[in-house]
Amino acid sequence: MNLFNKPTLSTDERDIIDSITQNGAGRKKGEERLFNRYAYFIKEAIYKHSLSEEDAFDLYSDTIISAIEKIASGSFEGRSSLKTWLYSIFHNKYVDLLRKKTTNKNSIHHTLSISDLLLQVSDHSKTIVQKLVDKTDWEILRERLVQVGESCRQMLLLWADGYSDKDIAGLMEYKTSDVVKTSRLRCLEKLKQLYRKT
Amino acid sequence: MEDNLEYIDDYFQRMLNAEEIRRFEQKIAEDPAFAKEVAFYLAAKQGLKAEAEKEKKERFKQLLSQQAPVVNIDGDRNTRRIWIYRMSAAAAVIIGLFFAWYFLFPGAASSQQMADKYINDNFTDLGITMSSRLDSIQTGLRFYNDGQYDSSLKMFEAVSQRDPQDYLPKKYAGIVCLKIGNYNKALQYFRQFENDDTLYSNPSLFYQAVTLLKRNQTGDKQQAKELLQRVVKGDLDGKEFAEQWLKKL
Repeated sequence: MNLFNKPTLSTDERDIIDSITQNGAGRKKGEERLFNRYAYFIKEAIYKHSLSEEDAFDLYSDTIISAIEKIASGSFEGRSSLKTWLYSIFHNKYVDLLRKKTTNKNSIHHTLSISDLLLQVSDHSKTIVQKLVDKTDWEILRERLVQVGESCRQMLLLWADGYSDKDIAGLMEYKTSDVVKTSRLRCLEKLKQLYRKT
Repeated sequence: MEDNLEYIDDYFQRMLNAEEIRRFEQKIAEDPAFAKEVAFYLAAKQGLKAEAEKEKKERFKQLLSQQAPVVNIDGDRNTRRIWIYRMSAAAAVIIGLFFAWYFLFPGAASSQQMADKYINDNFTDLGITMSSRLDSIQTGLRFYNDGQYDSSLKMFEAVSQRDPQDYLPKKYAGIVCLKIGNYNKALQYFRQFENDDTLYSNPSLFYQAVTLLKRNQTGDKQQAKELLQRVVKGDLDGKEFAEQWLKKL
């Protein structure tokens, strides 16, 4: 057996990745399996890096959330084992955390990170839109999200979590992805009206 | 208004053609009400994403509480002792292997160390002033210097897609990939401007060599050597390092 041709991913790892990329009903299960599988990283962060339990949990869950996003979008290429790859994300996030702790010790205000979607807009238009986005009152937006109704809320959250209209149709038992798109845009319009009323 | 949302949604789902994209972006610049609609769409998605992540974290917290306690000092003592024995044995094996490897393949360790040193000395922080012509490049560099490599890479990739002729975003995307250990992708980016003869100083070959030395797979060192020889011969960017390194390889 040639050791250099050994597959990088184990069957279990491949299973987890498949269930997340399929974006259907199995994704949630896949996310949970991924979280459970390497949850000992939390313990390691507490012992090795002397982090509090809360910080270690945040660090690990942010790692898993970021990994899920990459796996679902197909950016994980499987060139290394899932553990090695996750550990590199975990380590980078740990370095970020240290940096934030040393440079921004007194800051408790967290802003949302730049939207990935904005990256596709040309520079001039991006500046205009970014300035408007910066004016958003996130608290009010969050409050209004509760008022759009449970079904709308669930649909919009799935959309923001990277599920396609087709995936949502399967999960929420809609007939077609076109119906989901129409409903989703209606929900978004409703959210906008509620937000602008304030 | 719903029509506007559909139009905006189509743009961000990449369903518009080049001309429609141009008109869409022009409309943002010329129509403040439309720009506001676009901003709402993005803010809503951003806010919803944060909310979805918050819910996911809550779910993870519940999962964790169903597992054994994270910190269990008493239970850990025995495990720790076993681990100390295991670690000592592993350390002895590693030291043995290191010496065997060092004497059998002299230079293997040093070539990777040379690459490491170069990366640490030159790619820890990237100068923001290197390009003042593009907002996005500057933002990408700021992300890089803040250690936000994912956002930085996305930014450089987006600029590169918009302007495929420009070598700068490709160079930076390659550096980010090299920094995060995605060597194959780094090589792909560096190769893309290898033949760009409009550049006064082209670092493509030298960066490829650094990446190969860092990756250190079978055949990488030989390939890096050939690239470094081309750097010296062509008097290209990185020539001084190339000359020094070739003596050691």
